[in-house]
Amino acid sequence: MSAYEISIISIIGINVILAVSLNMISGFCGQISLGHGAFFGAGAYAAALTMVGCGSVPLAIVAALITGSILGVIVGFASLRVRTDFLAVTTIGVNFLFVGFVRKQAWLGGEMGISGIPATGLGAAGNMTMILLFAAATIALSLYISRSWMGFAFRAVGQDEGAAATLGINSGAYKLAAFGIGTALAGLAGGLYAFFTQFITADAFDFIFSVMLMAMVVIGGIGSTWGVVVAAAGLTLLPEAIRFVNDYRLLVFGGLLVLVIRLAPGGLAAMFQNVFLRTRKP
Amino acid sequence: MYYIDLAVTGISFGCMYAMMSVGLTLVYGLLRILHVAHAAVFALGAYVTVLVANATGSIGLGFLAAIIVTPLFGMAIYRLLYEPLLKYRPDVPMIASVGLLVLMQDAFRIVFGEQGITFHSNNLAFATYNFSGVTVSAVQIAIVVAAAVVFTGLHLFTTRTRIGIGWRATVSKPQIAASFGIDPIKVRYLNFAVGSALAAIAGGLVALMNNLVDPGIGFVVSYKALAIIVLGGLGSVRGTLIASLVLGLVESYGTIFIGAWLDRDAIAFLALIVLLMIRPQGFTGARTA
Amino acid sequence: MLKQSSRTPALKSRLSLGFASMLMLGIATVMPAHADIKIGFQVPLTGPSATDGKSAQIAATMAVEDINAAGGVLGQKIELVTYDDQAKSDQAIFTANKLIGEDGVKLVVNGSYSASGRAAAPVFQQAGVVMISAYGVHPDITRAGDDMFRLVHLGPPQGAATALYVGKTLGIKKVSTITMDNDYGQATMDGFLEASGKYGIEVLNKYSYSLKDRQFGSIVASVKRDNPDAIYATGYFFTGGPLVAQLRAAGITVPIIGSQAFDSEKFVEIAGPAAEGTYIIDSFDRDRKDETLQKFFAEFKNRAGYSPEGVAAVTYSAVRLMADGIKRANSADPAKVRDALAATKDFPMLEGNLNGFNSLHEIVMPISVNVIKDGKFTSAGVITDLAAFAPPEK
Repeated sequence: MSAYEISIISIIGINVILAVSLNMISGFCGQISLGHGAFFGAGAYAAALTMVGCGSVPLAIVAALITGSILGVIVGFASLRVRTDFLAVTTIGVNFLFVGFVRKQAWLGGEMGISGIPATGLGAAGNMTMILLFAAATIALSLYISRSWMGFAFRAVGQDEGAAATLGINSGAYKLAAFGIGTALAGLAGGLYAFFTQFITADAFDFIFSVMLMAMVVIGGIGSTWGVVVAAAGLTLLPEAIRFVNDYRLLVFGGLLVLVIRLAPGGLAAMFQNVFLRTRKP
Repeated sequence: MYYIDLAVTGISFGCMYAMMSVGLTLVYGLLRILHVAHAAVFALGAYVTVLVANATGSIGLGFLAAIIVTPLFGMAIYRLLYEPLLKYRPDVPMIASVGLLVLMQDAFRIVFGEQGITFHSNNLAFATYNFSGVTVSAVQIAIVVAAAVVFTGLHLFTTRTRIGIGWRATVSKPQIAASFGIDPIKVRYLNFAVGSALAAIAGGLVALMNNLVDPGIGFVVSYKALAIIVLGGLGSVRGTLIASLVLGLVESYGTIFIGAWLDRDAIAFLALIVLLMIRPQGFTGARTA
Repeated sequence: MLKQSSRTPALKSRLSLGFASMLMLGIATVMPAHADIKIGFQVPLTGPSATDGKSAQIAATMAVEDINAAGGVLGQKIELVTYDDQAKSDQAIFTANKLIGEDGVKLVVNGSYSASGRAAAPVFQQAGVVMISAYGVHPDITRAGDDMFRLVHLGPPQGAATALYVGKTLGIKKVSTITMDNDYGQATMDGFLEASGKYGIEVLNKYSYSLKDRQFGSIVASVKRDNPDAIYATGYFFTGGPLVAQLRAAGITVPIIGSQAFDSEKFVEIAGPAAEGTYIIDSFDRDRKDETLQKFFAEFKNRAGYSPEGVAAVTYSAVRLMADGIKRANSADPAKVRDALAATKDFPMLEGNLNGFNSLHEIVMPISVNVIKDGKFTSAGVITDLAAFAPPEK
């Protein structure tokens, strides 16, 4: 496998973790979050500082997980306070605040970011394998949650909080749980990203990236784990696949995004289902 | 004088934000869509203003052209992009909207160049007036005057004319308005047309102030506008006006006093989050239209 | 496989497959003689950094054409393999690996910002690929290893030279500073602040703005209150233009000193009459009687529709220098090219004479200053005290 392929597969793995974890919050539990980049970034910074400090990969991963989920639970509390309508914009705000704050902090490297993050010692292929293992674990967790009581409760909260309450579901607790789990995984992805690039700057975690993640969830089909996995891989590969248009890359990307949503608003999952059902009909 | 200078800056920013945001909040009030591509409308307004002004030698004609072109664009966005997606979750049209913004931004870059375009002659950008020590630039005056005219006009339109009253009614009580024979579809087009024209005016004024229109011109303003419409209580024009002015002032002072540890672009969202924690319903209280 | 170069290796290989049996021997002997020397080129062609990327791309293409028109190097043509990196780290890593793995490139010019150069440098270093960063200013780039070169002054030396010019040449004692919040703006300002004491400069107040800002009302009002003898601002021409216009519009008349990336005719176009008298440090002297420079100017303007700025000039020089390195090494072998580049002495860049590289492969050369006069870039001297802004060594 060439280094080019390894680097792309690594990023696909990271994006799969991010999209699947966002899907738990926004897909399962219905809490629209457009600030997933902030949790991703928090994990990356936590892992970077840990690696620079003591060089331990497991510790860095734990730090990334914890930092992501702490920030996530705080935002989760906010989600309990504000109207659903407001949450999307509030999370955008969290993303801008995160980037705006980090770039001014000398101890986080300011504009220069953190560089010289020690290598994991696994090599590029080893890193890729680690990333893929974590991605597989994330997918498995997502599938498990989806089938468990928790997944049922998430969906109940997402669809109708009032009705969920009549079933005895404490919607506040489940929203917090969704945020906590989803953002911990985003933090994990951040840690893996720091291992991959070995230097980080705040710009990599901006709002546009969060929107890209939401696009993966929407295009994959909100709530569908496998759909989101496919979309995450697809949207990561797309800019590479259309490299030949060089100058017009963003134009084509934006156009395809519009087109896909316009033609398959229910996402890949719905499209797949339609085709499947149609062929099953006599 | 220094604090008054900052206030002047803040108020002119605020007026610009207001013109940009009202279209957004109206779209939200009517359709529950976060119309991110409004930034592309704003940018289009800025480009048209400069291009026509340079071609005709008249900045006034530039603005006129922008006010004619952008409503068409805005209505086309509704017809071609949002209308078919209305039955899906609001994040679906929003992602489409983001896609359109990315596409438009790159289209501006490809058509008009990476370097951006400038007015051939723009005396307003360099003219200033001194009022007993307080410096006010011609563009700042133009922004405030434009906002005053536009919002007075909007107020008269929505309180004195049949169409305007119908519009307002549809935004707050769609069913009742429909039962009075108001066509909700026409109202939507009107909504996009007016909102786009306002954004175009804001875009043209920003172009005048910077003497530069580059592909990214709408980017930051658009996200701030999102914060503003939430601060204003989503769907409320009055709330949006107040929020715009408050944000303009907070930014103007904030840039100096908290700029050392927080980006100016983040200040809007800090204000947003602080306010939401204190008043989860936004500035204008309990209206959840 | 698909890339911007006009060559068609895909077709070539298909042909060679078709006639494999007949041509096997012929190709094996003929191919090396006709093979071009590939130079990889990473450049932001899309996204917010495309402004500089476009200029860099035009300049690099011109450099390659000029080299090939003059017979190429070592009897071979230069082929530019261009990839868009959007000035983003992950894109830079992808394209670096693509250049190494799929295109077999051994020599690279990075015509992009630091976010790209920083990410790509370790990848290239590990693969033994020589990279010249044309205008990436982050110190990490050359620290990645000895295959890395940089053709622009680091931020801190630029800032130190500015302090020297402001304090000694202009004799200014009180300044307000305005920093652009990115690595380039911050590093350059740090250099200025550190050296300012040495030249008796008092910094009254420090302000900062983000790359996306075009409205500076609060900063302008604050600078007016500071009432400094001069203003030093770091930024790009698209932030500097509106900034200078707004400072002047507020009735501030003291000298404004801008950083390197103000250097673009677009700056004058945006700021209009307000641009008059603005100093630009680490600019380049456009009137220098140099045939290459004047030819470059005319041709670039012809292709781009606007005059070349510093980014274009330095990217052109970077490609020329790489070719010169190959020539002096008498081989396209990266290790030999690296040694030849490290031994560079008095290479004529468009910006002036490059004395050479220091041990960290940072450039050693004087810094020119321009001032805007009658809407034109006019030379305002050269800062030659190399010791005052020496780049860091290993």
